[in-house]
Amino acid sequence: MANPAEPQQKKSNSDSKAWEILCSVRLAVIIIIIMAVACILGTVILQIKSPEEYVSRYGPGLAKFYAAIQFTDIFHSYWFSFLLILLCVNLGCCTVKRWRNKVLMIGFLVTHISIILILIGCVVDLLTGVKGGVNVYEGSSVDYYLTRADYKKVPLGFQVFCDDFIIEKHPPKYKLITYVKDKDKQKAVSLAVGKKISIPGTNYAATVKELIEDAEVQHEPINVSDEPKNPALYIQLSAKDKVTAEGWLLAKDRNWYNDTQRDLKIDYVWADTDEAHERLTNAAAKSSTKPTLEIRIEGTDIVKNVPVEKGQKISIKGTDYTVEVKDFALDYSKRLVALSEQEPNNPAVMVEISGPQGVDSRWSFSKYPDYQDKAHKTIYKDVKLLCTVPEDFSDAKNRVRIVQSRSGKQTITYIKGGKVISTNDWVLGQGYDISDSGLKIRIQKYFPSHSLKKTVVKRTGGHEGHNHGPGEHHGNPAALIEMEGPRGKYAEWVFAHTPPHWYPDNNFAVLYEKSGMEVKDYKSILRVVENGKTMMTKTIEVNSPLKYKGFVFYQSSYDPEGERYTGLQVTKNPGLLVVYSGFILLCLGIVFIFYVKPFLRRKFQKGKKIKEIYSEEEMLAEHIDE
Amino acid sequence: MLDLTLYVYTAAIVAYIVREIWRAKTMRWVAFGLFAGGFILNTIVVLNRWAEANHAPMSDKYESFVFFGWSIALVYLIFELVTIFIVKVHESRLGIIGALQGVLAAWMICSALGIDNTIKELPPALQSKWLVTHVICYFLSYSALSMSFSAAIVHLVRKAFVSDKPKEAAAAGTVVQKKKDYSFDKLAYIAVSIGFPFLTIGLITGSIWAKGAWGTYWGWDPKEIWSLISWLVYLTYMHLPLMLPKTNIKKSFRPILLSIILLIAFPIVLFTFMGLHKLPSSVDSDHIYAE
Ligand code: HEM
Repeated sequence: MANPAEPQQKKSNSDSKAWEILCSVRLAVIIIIIMAVACILGTVILQIKSPEEYVSRYGPGLAKFYAAIQFTDIFHSYWFSFLLILLCVNLGCCTVKRWRNKVLMIGFLVTHISIILILIGCVVDLLTGVKGGVNVYEGSSVDYYLTRADYKKVPLGFQVFCDDFIIEKHPPKYKLITYVKDKDKQKAVSLAVGKKISIPGTNYAATVKELIEDAEVQHEPINVSDEPKNPALYIQLSAKDKVTAEGWLLAKDRNWYNDTQRDLKIDYVWADTDEAHERLTNAAAKSSTKPTLEIRIEGTDIVKNVPVEKGQKISIKGTDYTVEVKDFALDYSKRLVALSEQEPNNPAVMVEISGPQGVDSRWSFSKYPDYQDKAHKTIYKDVKLLCTVPEDFSDAKNRVRIVQSRSGKQTITYIKGGKVISTNDWVLGQGYDISDSGLKIRIQKYFPSHSLKKTVVKRTGGHEGHNHGPGEHHGNPAALIEMEGPRGKYAEWVFAHTPPHWYPDNNFAVLYEKSGMEVKDYKSILRVVENGKTMMTKTIEVNSPLKYKGFVFYQSSYDPEGERYTGLQVTKNPGLLVVYSGFILLCLGIVFIFYVKPFLRRKFQKGKKIKEIYSEEEMLAEHIDE
Repeated sequence: MLDLTLYVYTAAIVAYIVREIWRAKTMRWVAFGLFAGGFILNTIVVLNRWAEANHAPMSDKYESFVFFGWSIALVYLIFELVTIFIVKVHESRLGIIGALQGVLAAWMICSALGIDNTIKELPPALQSKWLVTHVICYFLSYSALSMSFSAAIVHLVRKAFVSDKPKEAAAAGTVVQKKKDYSFDKLAYIAVSIGFPFLTIGLITGSIWAKGAWGTYWGWDPKEIWSLISWLVYLTYMHLPLMLPKTNIKKSFRPILLSIILLIAFPIVLFTFMGLHKLPSSVDSDHIYAE
């Protein structure tokens, strides 16, 4: 070994044994391996849990043992700290000892020093740094934070206001979930139109044929037979040649229309015989039964039935209550809905109950007897009201009755105030004046067997009735999914958030659902106030914190329920600069060792033999063959 | 597309195995071509995903698997090209490693096939420019380290069964070939020397990213700890040769010991990548891909 770059060979006797050991790679390797093992233990054994949890998980003996050798918080234990210190000392010693003033050794020096720097920085942060958190309610402020370790309140020395907290959301994404029952196998797939998704191991497949981002079901009326199975008329009401309402009336279903504005009711009835026709034409003229109100006092057997008449006062015997009918609405919502969309009305009685605790006035709905307006405070909970409205009841003054019979007789009758004014035969397409009301009625179409064809189409127009703010509407997506299996192909429209759709053999299903993380970002507008003066404001978000006087405030969480407060992480890292310098040096050093050094060496020592360029150790370390 | 990638990778594996038995020059190119073909398909999948998802395609489990498969193939192909055209070493230098790397890549694609591949929006913490650097460093590193793993396997197998091979070659008179036919442990070292710096940079960028997103650069999270463990094991591998001469371990056993370390190290890396949900401590972590 006549190699000058080999000072290790001539060991100086003055080097003490301890120094030798501290400098040795052997120690380094041992430390590194022990650290690796400690790290593994630190993830296999639960860390920083309550003593009870350790006992229940590992038994009392082992739990005690773990606590004794600080296995319950390995990374903050004395022996782990000792290991890190030893590592630093070892690194420092070996670097000092091996250092020879050669360019090629820069990498070695820099990496080793950088690791020492990183560890020093970490220790500085651990000893003098701050790690905590605090929740700030929107519109209020804090002047303290809670430590991460034991939730102790520590004053900040200034105030932090949260002026606003904003959550930005992505529009929702959807996915298709396929399910095979006998294999109990679920698979989620993205919705790509035209792509066949085969389920491995089965002969099922699904293909999305069409996708509508905001779909609605449209019902197109069609006639399916000439037999009068479901007779329907399309009628049009107009005033001064302007159509005010139009739509279908179905004799067997929705057979009336209420025009509250004009105090008019139109109904359509079907007669199988001519006698019935005669009877039905005049039926509406007779006064129909009135709505009734049932008053029941819970806990007693007091029940009282009274006809609904405005202004009527009823005192309930056996109680202190007096019930007064204040108002009656045949259609509570009183909306002017287009004829084609008019739903069965929602009759309601407004009642005032006087009793010992004052007056309780409430609406009672015939269709939802138990419904109570949230804003309304019910005083007399034991008073139960039930309003019953007969099916053919109408309080409209003007009535139009269209009757049609199997034999082809068709009449239109105008009734006012319970009296038949006129009865005419009608034909399709002709307009008839409704006596002196100024309205004209025209029967446009007749379908003996009315039916609806369901089609799914892209939604157009507004979204009345949806409960969302402006810009938040994301549509109601639907997909035409073709399912394939042992019983052939089968396509169906599937709306998002509806129950799964099953293939006819009930073994394969698809479900169309919302997926993925919806929060795009959360932001808080923070304002720092010190001695009554606003020092700074900043909108913080994840990856963009606020820094003030060494403190750094990170957006870390929020109130998951009401979104009323923002969760801030509060840190102070005095050692950060040192750590980051270490990071940079480590990167540089390592790049030097592995990528720069080999080239430099080849350049410096061109033409020399391998043995002259490398020391024996380097050849070992870098696996260079002789 | 993804299943096609898997089939092509599988074909490449077969081709590399065939090549080991029937060493024809054409076979070498067939094997290389198949692997490259699989790589191109894989690239298309990655790019397509990138376009569809609108974020770098490595944020969830599915994307990571596809991307890892891609980077394994990329690193291997670069290695093979370099050995063929630049270093011009004997053609058996990479040999069966191609098959092993193919198995890894195919495994990743296979894992990706079975899981939820719907595009998810990035949670706020992942919307960082550090993420891309961090993840790319890690995958490049992992791919290079997987090369060292395969090389270590081949080294050990050769040591165990075909230790007299160089002599045969010498007897056949291919002196020039023998000179350039470096041993597989050297190849493993080269792979580590490429993978280790990226591993370090990945660790550091991950730390910086965590600082920006959560406020702590090191929180002893299981994912962080296991990255550190992987790093420490490779650090051992780098420093061990310096220590071995001072021990009484036999000289011929040293490369075997180092290969064994590599054999342990890469499974640790893989565990860090995809096995952490098996740990009891993983419930507290917000770093692990949701199952
Ligand atoms: C990224 C991290 C590291 C790199 C890249 C690295 C690199 C190196 C290199 C290249 C050498 C050989 C120097 C030469 O050319 O003679 C060396 C030696 C050494 N390293 Fe490291 N090192 C790292 C981390 C560590 C750590 C964490 C320790 C822990 C204690 C350590 C302990 C040692 C020791 C003791 C030697 C001296 C060997 C001797 O004196 O014979 N190194 N290191």
